[in-house]
Amino acid sequence: MASRGSFLTALAALALASPRASADGPFVSISESVTWQDNITNAPSGDGIKSAFGLESGADVTWLRSLDFSTLLTAGVAADAHVCPSYGGLESFSVGSTAEVRRKLGLGPLAPVAYAGLTGSATGYVDPERSNIEGDFIFGVSQRLRDDLQVALDGRLGSYDARDIVFSGNFASLGATLNWDVNETWRLKLMGGWRTGDTVANYAAVKSPYGWVAVDPEAQYLPGAWHYVRTFDEPFVAWRESSRTWSYGAGISPALGRHTSLALQFAHFTSEGYGRYVDNVVSVSLRHHF
Amino acid sequence: MHRSAALILLATAALGAHAAGTVRVVTKDAAGKPVADAVAYVISLDAPVAVHPPEEPVAITQRDQEFDPYVTPIVVGTRVVFPNRDNVQHHVYSVSPAKKFEIPLYIGESTATIVFDRPGPVTLGCNIHDWMVAYVFVLDTPYFAKTGADGTADISNLPPGRYRLEVWHPRLAGKVGLEVTVVEAGDTTQVVSVTLRPDRRIRRAPDAGGVDYK
Repeated sequence: MASRGSFLTALAALALASPRASADGPFVSISESVTWQDNITNAPSGDGIKSAFGLESGADVTWLRSLDFSTLLTAGVAADAHVCPSYGGLESFSVGSTAEVRRKLGLGPLAPVAYAGLTGSATGYVDPERSNIEGDFIFGVSQRLRDDLQVALDGRLGSYDARDIVFSGNFASLGATLNWDVNETWRLKLMGGWRTGDTVANYAAVKSPYGWVAVDPEAQYLPGAWHYVRTFDEPFVAWRESSRTWSYGAGISPALGRHTSLALQFAHFTSEGYGRYVDNVVSVSLRHHF
Repeated sequence: MHRSAALILLATAALGAHAAGTVRVVTKDAAGKPVADAVAYVISLDAPVAVHPPEEPVAITQRDQEFDPYVTPIVVGTRVVFPNRDNVQHHVYSVSPAKKFEIPLYIGESTATIVFDRPGPVTLGCNIHDWMVAYVFVLDTPYFAKTGADGTADISNLPPGRYRLEVWHPRLAGKVGLEVTVVEAGDTTQVVSVTLRPDRRIRRAPDAGGVDYK
């Protein structure tokens, strides 16, 4: 915990120190999104599957600083608030910072862009067991194939450190996105991804005179920690799922002007392994750059 | 003799010598709508005409992370400056055969002055903001004009004679040219229909969405 705290402190210091007088910015963006998730608990099956709406508002401020003719250092701070009307324990507020180096490998719009950076955040949940700090290493590359066609590959290696051990751990993800700008207004998106390190919660415990007892005794022998969670007002146990989760999705994103765009996206997640689960997520998002 | 009176006499003599005419070019697309930002120019078929670049450089400004103007016609040898009026650095470049150059990251007034010394179209970009695009059309004739929003351009001060009228536009499909004759002190109107490719620019709007999934 202490080492992750030091990491976040150093990251915040880097992000705040970078925007010097010669830097460009600040650039401010805000975003709003509404999300429907049909398996918010990532439960494998049965009564443990719960669905819910989520509302999220975010704002971020970034500065840019040129390291050389083709390399930019981006530093930023961000804040997000998440509201979940069905399960108050999932409501959260987070603050974070990012420092990222982005390099364009050539001249012109068709030159590939590579980036790598560090992000960190601290998130407080209404359900205090979930409150965590997170540190990530992010990296990726994007390539514009034509003026209207772009492919991007993104990766993330991260670590959560939460108050409850079941919500702590490491994770990794890789994703690919294809953006096709059909015309000046409409963008179509195709997405695919892979990740490992999810948390699974399932209706797998009953309250006995002796405390919470797992309905499925084998759940106690699942890889990683498992623990009773109170978030869903029912006797849920949660454990970390170390198997892979694959995802695919699609979306449309109309531009509402030079600085604003809307997006409607669908994503399907399927995990492998003992706690196999399926989750579908639909979101409507609005983003505005000032 | 006063200096102003001498200038008036010189100007009168010049007008008398040329009795200049004007070619009004009206550009329309396939749907009959006016085409803005087209460069209309004429090339003398009687004798070559020397071009003289202006003494002052032409400015192409960067404002709100866009180039202004979108199309700039100039003659060969013209110097161009690229003042940056944004609060963000730009990296102006061209990889066009008629002029390759780059002005790496700067803000405010750039000390770089680019001389466009070969005729032809030059595409400008910013290596930071890929959606920024503009065009310089370098001409080896002094007789040209750019169409406004109404699709009209007046090429004036033309000595009488035979000319070839041509039109260029960043999205022009094919080449447009026709012969025109300018009579002494006469005005000629030419309606030019052009076929334009679709306007496919890199989208500037931010990327929204992304499922933040944990």
